[in-house]
Amino acid sequence: MSRVKQFKLPDLGEGLTEGEILQWMVEVGEEIKLNQPIVEVETAKAAVEVPSPFAGVVTQIHYPAGSTVDVGSVIISVDTDPSAGALEEVVSDHPEVADMVPSPPSDESGPLGALIGEVGPSGRTATLVGYGPKSVTAKRRPRSDTAPPAAVPEVAPPPPATAARVSAAAVGQSAAQSAGALPVLAKPPVRKLAASLGVDLATVTGTGPNGTITRADVEGATAGTPAVADAPVLASYDPATRERRVPVKGVRKMTAQAMVGSAFSAPHVTEFITLDITPTMDLVRQLKALPEFEGVKVTPLLLVAKAVLLAVKRNPEINSTFTDDEIIVKDYINLGIAAATPRGLLVPNIKDADQLSLVQLAQALQQLVQTARDGKTSPADMARGTITITNVGVFGVDNGTPILNPGEAAILCFGAVRPTPWVVGGEIVVRQVTQLALSFDHRVVDGQLGSQFLADIARVLSDPATALVWS
Amino acid sequence: MAQLTMAKALNDGLRAAMERDPKVVLMGEDIGKLGGVFRVTDGLQKDFGEDRVFDTPLAESGIVGTAIGLAMRGYRPVCEIQFDGFVFPAYDQIVSQLAKMHARSRGTVKMPIVIRIPFGGGIGAVEHHSESPEAYFCHTPGLKVVACSNSLDAHFMIQQAIALDDPVIFFEPKRRYWEKADVDPTATADPLEQARVVRDGTDLTLIAYGPMVKTCLDAATAAEEDGRSLEVIDLRSLSPLDFPTVLSSVRRTRRAVVVHEASSFVGLGAEISARLSEELYYEMEAPVLRVTGYDTPYPPSRVEEEFLPDLDRVLHVVDRSLAY
Amino acid sequence: MTPADPADTPLVQLLTPEGERRQHPDYDIDLTDDQYRDFYRDLVLTRRIDIEATALQRQGELGIWAALLGQEAAQVGSGRALRPQDFAFPTYREHGVAWCREIDPIQLLGLFRGVSNGGWDPNEKKFALYTIVIGSQTLHATGYAMGISKDGAVGDAETGEAVIAYFGDGASSQGDVNEAFVWASVYNSPIVFFCQNNQWGISTPTSTQSRIPLYKRAEGFGFPGVRVDGNDVLATYAVTRAALDAARTGQGPTLIEAYTYRMGAHTTSDDPTRYRLASELEAWKLKDPLERMKAFLYKQQIVDAAFFEKVEADADELAARIRKGCLEMADPDPSVMFDQVYEEMTPLLREQAASFQSYHAGFAEGAH
Repeated sequence: MSRVKQFKLPDLGEGLTEGEILQWMVEVGEEIKLNQPIVEVETAKAAVEVPSPFAGVVTQIHYPAGSTVDVGSVIISVDTDPSAGALEEVVSDHPEVADMVPSPPSDESGPLGALIGEVGPSGRTATLVGYGPKSVTAKRRPRSDTAPPAAVPEVAPPPPATAARVSAAAVGQSAAQSAGALPVLAKPPVRKLAASLGVDLATVTGTGPNGTITRADVEGATAGTPAVADAPVLASYDPATRERRVPVKGVRKMTAQAMVGSAFSAPHVTEFITLDITPTMDLVRQLKALPEFEGVKVTPLLLVAKAVLLAVKRNPEINSTFTDDEIIVKDYINLGIAAATPRGLLVPNIKDADQLSLVQLAQALQQLVQTARDGKTSPADMARGTITITNVGVFGVDNGTPILNPGEAAILCFGAVRPTPWVVGGEIVVRQVTQLALSFDHRVVDGQLGSQFLADIARVLSDPATALVWS
Repeated sequence: MAQLTMAKALNDGLRAAMERDPKVVLMGEDIGKLGGVFRVTDGLQKDFGEDRVFDTPLAESGIVGTAIGLAMRGYRPVCEIQFDGFVFPAYDQIVSQLAKMHARSRGTVKMPIVIRIPFGGGIGAVEHHSESPEAYFCHTPGLKVVACSNSLDAHFMIQQAIALDDPVIFFEPKRRYWEKADVDPTATADPLEQARVVRDGTDLTLIAYGPMVKTCLDAATAAEEDGRSLEVIDLRSLSPLDFPTVLSSVRRTRRAVVVHEASSFVGLGAEISARLSEELYYEMEAPVLRVTGYDTPYPPSRVEEEFLPDLDRVLHVVDRSLAY
Repeated sequence: MTPADPADTPLVQLLTPEGERRQHPDYDIDLTDDQYRDFYRDLVLTRRIDIEATALQRQGELGIWAALLGQEAAQVGSGRALRPQDFAFPTYREHGVAWCREIDPIQLLGLFRGVSNGGWDPNEKKFALYTIVIGSQTLHATGYAMGISKDGAVGDAETGEAVIAYFGDGASSQGDVNEAFVWASVYNSPIVFFCQNNQWGISTPTSTQSRIPLYKRAEGFGFPGVRVDGNDVLATYAVTRAALDAARTGQGPTLIEAYTYRMGAHTTSDDPTRYRLASELEAWKLKDPLERMKAFLYKQQIVDAAFFEKVEADADELAARIRKGCLEMADPDPSVMFDQVYEEMTPLLREQAASFQSYHAGFAEGAH
């Protein structure tokens, strides 16, 4: 066994993998005693003095002060038997052939190095073919502030279509994606949301990076309008439990979501008014006979709609939307009519209903109802409504407390019209009577506005001549 | 202008390369007197001599290993592996030595070697003669991998591959060896590492290479009757892969279907799909779909038509994509 | 295990372990005193390179080292038999042949340190890069030799070119080595297959690789095979020179089995005490290649103390230079890995190189 012993930097505590040599306390040629402090090493915690495990004469210091050294590296060589005569003057310790031939592992600080599975000079476990695995602490290297974040990739505009073969439009929903159309940029989940909400992405402005359409953009476009295009979902009956489970999907799901969204965000107040609607019912008969209304359906709902439109003109703040920062008062009236369809309840709206003549309004209303019955209401039909009428009278129901269409501030519920005893000129007579209910968003609409609005509607319906006065 | 089979177009291309550079040598089993089992080297030994066109022992590892030594000596060997399924004994020499030599030697040792391999199925063959092993080689850095689909490309691509100083695995679709097309040897060739849009379309992009290019073109023709306009890309170069051409097409059509005979799991379709989803996440109307061989060993030949993608399977998957 | 290699298997020997000179009917050499002394010097320096590198590995400066301890004569003898125009294909242990081909030993260290895969130009040094896959290089060597034939550079005794392919006893089992024998034989290639049978493939003895003495394999392939005492530098030199000359003059391949012993471990972390007996080691120590040469020089009275001091001084200087070179070896710039895959970077590699750069540039200053 060689008389020159090598001392490897030990683990100075708690899994140290390396240390910085602060200063050597001995020098080459110096005679040192066992346990004499020979070097000061800085660890993660403190500066530590390391004592020598050998006595003898220092023959070599392997790393200068200031070096960072791995645990297990030889840092100093000591001639433990200086009296045995001069050492051969060599740079490394100069083992004989005999020393070079491996014998069974014994003193780990000897010249053997590590065998397979043992920790080597660098602190790594030896393998046959290389240094061995490095141990890594579970700690992230700090990034600089100026490093670009994991960026959203540049979305390049599409190149123009090569014109060669542009045949008939593709099947499927994306008919809008024909050659040369501007690209719609949206992540798959957003596309899915749009499809289920019935939103045409082509009509939505994207506010995401590079003009991509976000989830919020899609939701904003619908104001929560329920979806089209799902086929009615069949329920399955289980004789074992005697229960039928109807999946909540499509329209029903969207309706439910809209209800919840609206009911729990806007404080609803509902006001009622009962009125004698006989003059309106007479007017309906008269209008039907007019040549202008030939082939056009005239219903009480038409005149209720007209009354609402006139009342909005007199009470414009009711035609608005509440947002956290501001109330958006709209100068256009997209009048929504709640309609029963094969797929469920939908609320398509008549765009700029206030611009329409009574005939046009009648036609629009007829069209709307027919389209809804046919199940062909489009997402665009349901987008951007400003105020809604829901007609429960067709079911023979008197009234209700309607829930606002999200994004709107008021909704009118129009109930059944019944012959009812009424007081006219102190006498009891039978009149056509109905009750209207108005729910409104109390953040936008106070009691006075709401009441005024409702009263105005009732005035037009009780006395249609009022419409002439207000026009 | 001649109507040439792919085999003849390759033969002419090899001849031209050998005339151009005396260092080009052809080596492989039965390529000399026999002219190769697909006659691709027909007549070349007679014209160039046994020193330049020679039959090797039946030892694929030896074919590639000695080619490496010949390349070190300054030659430009073009090796033939007789069938796709027999490349595997040479696989170690290809991936451990051929592919790494340039990097290992920091560019001082170049490997201008082409390894020609007839590949793919559809010829009613016995076992091991219908494989599609291209993914193993594409996955190996240091190799270039190309696949011709038609006579014209075959004629020019083989010459370009031979002229490259990088090692090239050159896949030839054996079921297409006898199909004819016009070959004008004086034409300007497209770059080797570039894909080509072989049919314009607007609704969906079919991405294919080798034997499946014709299948996709046929599928696109049939799809016209349904009023669909399918674009078809012939990748030509599998590694490196010409992503710009593919991206440009799919950015326009918004739908992609990859078609290859090789099995699905970890095939080229997976790489293309991953890449497209990364680059075109916001633009895609449908996920990238794949039409591939099944994840089974290649079946007996009586069943191979059910295994291989064909026109109907391609259009079936096109339907799925368009339904999104 | 079938011990099919009887002790009386003939081998060519020109120098006994005790340093006595022998004659052989087929292999004759006539060397000058300087050449004998130079052989000794080569042996000492080769051993010293090996020892220094082993020490460096134990100090964590190299990942591993494949020591040639005990095989110096086989490598120096064959290495010195090469003419300048000949080409050598090593495995990963031929540091003695590298020495003869004037490869700077520091470049060998680069591979084992993990800084490169071999830093010299094979064409400049006519010495291929180290091949780690067992036996693969024998096919490359055969192909190169076929190229020599095609170039018409075979025939002339002075200028004809030859190839030497090194491999071990373990490698002789590999398919590639046997394919190389097939090709070299049928094409009559100018190649010498030089097998250093050092008795062990890691822990597997030669008796598991072959039922018969390895040199006899050649007969099955139709070319001559010869066993030489691999610890005898003179015999190795003589036999290799003869085989190379046969190759360069168009007589085809020869298989040389250099019968030697791996005194050290397979690589530095191997533990041979697990699979071989100390007594075997002791027996081979008595056949040490350096000792017998030293003894011979003394017996010839062509050396003095000053000669040995000078050789030791040269060895020390070489060791110091190697140590310094190793310690100063810089890690390569990692971005270089993208440049060297192909003649020109592909688009994919350019992308990856760019994102590699920007990723690394994004670490905070001094982050470690």
